Amino acid sequence: MSYKPFDAEALIDAAAPMLQLQIAPEYRAGIKQNLKTAAKMAAILEKVKLEDDAEPAPVFQP
Amino acid sequence: MKATASAAEIVEAIIGGKTTARTVAQEALERIAKHNERLGAFTEMTPARALRQADIVDGLAQGGGTPGPLAGVPFAVKNLFDVKGLVTRAGSKINRRNEPAAQDSTLVRRLEAAGAVLVGTLNMGEYAYDFTGENIHDGPSRNPHDLDHMTGGSSGGSGAAVAAGLVPLTLGSDTNGSIRVPASLCGLFGLKPTYGRLSRAHTFPFVSSFDHLGPLGRSVRDLALAYDAMQGYDAADPVMTRRVNEPTLARLKHSIPPGRIAVADGYFAGDAATQAVVAHVAKAVGSTRTITIPDAQEARAAAFLITMVEGAALHLDRLRERPHDFDPEVRDRLLAGAMIPAVWVQRAQKLRRAYRETLLKLFEGVDVILAPSTPMRAPKIGQKTALFGGIELPVRPNLGIFTQPISFIGLPVVSVPVWLPGEKLPLGVQIIAAPWREDIALRVAHHLEQSGAVAAPVAREFADD
Repeated sequence: MSYKPFDAEALIDAAAPMLQLQIAPEYRAGIKQNLKTAAKMAAILEKVKLEDDAEPAPVFQP
Repeated sequence: MKATASAAEIVEAIIGGKTTARTVAQEALERIAKHNERLGAFTEMTPARALRQADIVDGLAQGGGTPGPLAGVPFAVKNLFDVKGLVTRAGSKINRRNEPAAQDSTLVRRLEAAGAVLVGTLNMGEYAYDFTGENIHDGPSRNPHDLDHMTGGSSGGSGAAVAAGLVPLTLGSDTNGSIRVPASLCGLFGLKPTYGRLSRAHTFPFVSSFDHLGPLGRSVRDLALAYDAMQGYDAADPVMTRRVNEPTLARLKHSIPPGRIAVADGYFAGDAATQAVVAHVAKAVGSTRTITIPDAQEARAAAFLITMVEGAALHLDRLRERPHDFDPEVRDRLLAGAMIPAVWVQRAQKLRRAYRETLLKLFEGVDVILAPSTPMRAPKIGQKTALFGGIELPVRPNLGIFTQPISFIGLPVVSVPVWLPGEKLPLGVQIIAAPWREDIALRVAHHLEQSGAVAAPVAREFADD
């Protein structure tokens, strides 16, 4: 997956009520910028081949 | 004792009867009172507690008892450590409404049990989500080597206090680089131990997957003294190792492994400035090898995402109830973190295990990997962007590009300070070892210090106190 621009405003508008977050107008530019950075990071990550049986790092010991 | 005295020198002077712990504590408290307004290092002082503890140490020393390996050493902790009776701020405005801590953090207890004397708590970036050392509520911590420049963060006060000689030893936390970045920018030695080696109990968390605690100091011996005193299992921190203690102090002088030290290339190559300091260290240890850490950029991306999401989860209630009381830069990253798809984070945690396997294999062929601690010397306070490899990027998240892929899998690191001729500010190099081999990283750092290749002087302006 490579990074593709997406509608960060729409994500904020959809996710904020689900998370019960009030997003003041002055917060939006910063959140958008950070969501874009996160999406770029995710695109870098998705290029790594990870097998189905690759275990995630955290280990729970009952 | 002078501002330049190391912890080891203070212990020797007190045990030898040349001074008392009370006098040393009073001198430290006076230095803090005199200089802190300009440095922004301390947020609270604990004079009554300090003098009480100093008197206990003096009683033991004068009575022929054993006051401990850190007898009378003044120290201070980042204000995310619980200190009984103080509110644990974690650099925030919001936490100031919390009740005072009912008990001390485990590491504070252990340092005091070793005879050290707590003199106060230190400024930090809000909730540790920061690499600059700036704090919107308390003001920035300032770099003692040039007060117009950043200390680096988030353990900014921990860096400023030691570099200005207010105390010889501080504790910080390091999630993605928050000990190593200020150590680099303030010209100090900083130890980020292996993940799970030192108890995090009774400290304010940030990202459980990556949170580490450790010491900053002006000598490697002081780091080893403090690290050895803080080791030991603590059931109150669920990620703690059950390995036996592995003391490092007595092994500092052991020879370093020739031919088993390599310089990280590729992602870690940096620019001319970082290459020069790494080459300086490599030459001093006789290393001619290079090594490639595969997937370092991917590791950094994964650490970045896990940090955003775990941080957001930690602070979700506060983001709902008091978003306007956060530092806006912290708040907006956390709000974005709350909206990130969970599948990205799960993938990041899978990469973390795979990347660990890759690096453990690398350590079959080397004992130490060298890499820059930060991509540049200290930026100016308030500076928002800088050139990273020729590209203009935000300073705040990018000061940690070289530390983040290392703490991602919890490797032990000592950041050592390099002063090159003609440079007015230092730049650090990471001495990275395999898990649980703090002893090797400290030995290499000690060798470099003894040879004069690295040094952590008190900033000139503060050295005469």
